[in-house]
Amino acid sequence: MSAHYHICHACDTLSKISTPGRPGRYKCPNCHAKLYTYKPGMVEKIYAYNLAALFLFIVANYFPFLSFHVAGSSSHANFATSIFYLYEDGQWLMAGGILLTTIVIPLFRILLYCILFGSLYHRYLPHYATQMLKLLEALLPWGMLDVLFLGVLVSIVKLVKMGTIIPGTSLWAFMLMILILAAAQSIFDPHQVWERIGDRKRLMREEHA
Amino acid sequence: MRGIERGLTNCPVCHAIVKVPAAESSQTLYCPRCDSEVYLRKPDSIQKTWAFLLASIVFYVPANLLPMMNVVTFAGTQSDTIMSGVLYFVETGAYLIAFVIFTASIFVPILKIAILIYLLVSVQRRSPLHRARRKKLYVLTEIIGRWSMVDVYVVGTMVALVHFGGLTEITPGMGANFFLLVVIMTMLSAMSFDPKLIWDNHIKESNAQQ
Repeated sequence: MSAHYHICHACDTLSKISTPGRPGRYKCPNCHAKLYTYKPGMVEKIYAYNLAALFLFIVANYFPFLSFHVAGSSSHANFATSIFYLYEDGQWLMAGGILLTTIVIPLFRILLYCILFGSLYHRYLPHYATQMLKLLEALLPWGMLDVLFLGVLVSIVKLVKMGTIIPGTSLWAFMLMILILAAAQSIFDPHQVWERIGDRKRLMREEHA
Repeated sequence: MRGIERGLTNCPVCHAIVKVPAAESSQTLYCPRCDSEVYLRKPDSIQKTWAFLLASIVFYVPANLLPMMNVVTFAGTQSDTIMSGVLYFVETGAYLIAFVIFTASIFVPILKIAILIYLLVSVQRRSPLHRARRKKLYVLTEIIGRWSMVDVYVVGTMVALVHFGGLTEITPGMGANFFLLVVIMTMLSAMSFDPKLIWDNHIKESNAQQ
């Protein structure tokens, strides 16, 4: 019943959707904010993208990220090197901030996606699906791999005059991972999963009654 | 037709439509589908948004005055604030880089703070003007909010790369810490704001006129 009605998060307009099952992006008639996206094949694609991202995440963290050569001496950085140096310098706030936003939260989100959508792919709705979806949504703005990418580019531009910068395997994996995660995020539609969670809850309630 | 007129709202997490009891009871309402807290408008939205916003303005001062990073060479230590970094690139003629850094580290944070002040003041004054445009501004602040972190990552990457065991080193400055706090506070501020408030008085006024 409620599936055919939507309330806009941005302007509170109540709108009726006459074709809820048709693929596409649904927008608020008043303020044109996105209501939801319906794309078939979402579960398979998100599962596949996030499995790939998980693999690339491991590659990005294991192999060398960037090397910097100036006048005979060189320094090498891994993905997490900055966190160690910042921590050593006593800048625990920055070290913690970077650790959370570029490693802990992104990895946690990728794992949650893999578990939740892997289960859905195998036609099983996990017991803690509600909590998983809530975490995925709440952590979305705090995973900042794409911002880190821009930061790395700016640093490269800043340093390129001083010496030679050699990109490592990890940098390529990192770039690919960002593209894949962006593709996954663009088709992510929690609406379909919430609907299934709602159906299950209704069934459980009816069984109890 | 708006949700508030029908006593309906949507769950902020799972978007399910929930009926809010007519009597304004103090009892908290929970979503029947995902058990999140449900409300017609975010509770204490304006106060929370102001609080985080003021905190970000306070942190913005040391973020700009204290050095973002220190370049340590055998010739001595040179400290760079955000502005001196931009000026360095202007002087050396790298205008594009200067522009990128200026936009990300100076223009965007000020823009975010200005937009949030404008939204808060206009909602508090129940202004009926430019509702659609104000909603767009809100969406813009939500999107650009996290991109200010770019500065913190630049400092991190520079510290990691320029590390030649005592000869030449870049060490982080206190300014970067405050800048991180500015970004977090403006993000929390934007999250606390309820865009539905922008449209609220509009309906009440047009009903009163009829």
